[in-house]
Amino acid sequence: MRAGTLPSAAYHDMPYPRGEVVDRADVGALVRSAVDGDAAAWKALVEGLSPLVWSVVRAHRLSDADGHEVYQTVWFRFAQHLGRIREPDKVGSWLASTARNECLKTLRSLSRLTVTDDPQLLDRVSEEGTPEQSLLDSEEAAAQSERIRRLWQEFEKLGDRCRQLLRVLIASPPPSYQEVSAALGIAVGSIGPLRQRCLRRLRARLDARGAT
Amino acid sequence: MNDRGNCRENPCPDEPGGGPWDEDPLEQELRQAAAVLDPVPDHLLQLAVDAYALHDLDARVAELTFDSLVDALPVRGATDTPRMLTFQAGELTVDVEVTGEGLTGQVLPPQPARIEVLGGPQPGTSLTADELGRFLTGTPPAGPFALRLHTGGEVVVTEWLRA
Repeated sequence: MRAGTLPSAAYHDMPYPRGEVVDRADVGALVRSAVDGDAAAWKALVEGLSPLVWSVVRAHRLSDADGHEVYQTVWFRFAQHLGRIREPDKVGSWLASTARNECLKTLRSLSRLTVTDDPQLLDRVSEEGTPEQSLLDSEEAAAQSERIRRLWQEFEKLGDRCRQLLRVLIASPPPSYQEVSAALGIAVGSIGPLRQRCLRRLRARLDARGAT
Repeated sequence: MNDRGNCRENPCPDEPGGGPWDEDPLEQELRQAAAVLDPVPDHLLQLAVDAYALHDLDARVAELTFDSLVDALPVRGATDTPRMLTFQAGELTVDVEVTGEGLTGQVLPPQPARIEVLGGPQPGTSLTADELGRFLTGTPPAGPFALRLHTGGEVVVTEWLRA
């Protein structure tokens, strides 16, 4: 049950193929190279870990403007602390928890200052096309594309806890439980059971909609 | 494989490679959906790549030790209190207040300094702190910011932060 478990061959050209951009075991080595001045190592870190940072931002449902600034802040601070990271192998967790803290600060300042004008994510999904979508534009992919869209819509309607947890779990490549724990401030031991429960819930929603 | 590897289970399953591959097909499909419908915006990826320029081994980092957003009790009835930040690098302290007009602050112990206000990897705007270490910027930061201080022959940079 290895590569054969991928449900479709239509996604082999995905922007972030799972597990291939950065082997997480190499992260520590990339950090050390970047410290020594290797810009390519830095770029590999950015490409391999950006989806994780982004997933944390999205899990917290910030507005686009806030989310973009949090993402930048996290990477600026990481660059700044690069030579002082104590555990280079765990930068994924470092980035995830830094992103979480900045998200929480943002939510806190919003609740103090103004009413948030959080945009409806569902609207965006149905309207804006991403460059990647052009990959799906061929007729044979249209059905799959529609299926993915429906899946995403049901995902967005999940309760906050499930949506948050799954959004981080589905970053590419898949984060470790330590990283998920750092991203959401939940115990490593509770991730597995909650993950199963949330997937059951999502599946039930899809079944109810007749989409599976 | 090191202690992290790709292992997602706790405790880790025994079979080699066990981890992401035991994943629910629904989760895999969701991951594909996220990559297609909610990817990292390209311009943000590029900004993060460019951020390598902020890697500066010669500068000391002044860490955020106080942030009124987190550390202060809310003032009852006050809705527009300025954000107060304190950064520290060894014996050097930088106090900053963020208001609608800009950043005001003081370097302590009091000393003159040349200060660059950074908003990203690109060069920032320069200003000077007076003999008492006081400084003032004309505009509030538009996004993440850091202050790079040149003082007493050394360079100190405050931790990156959103104002």
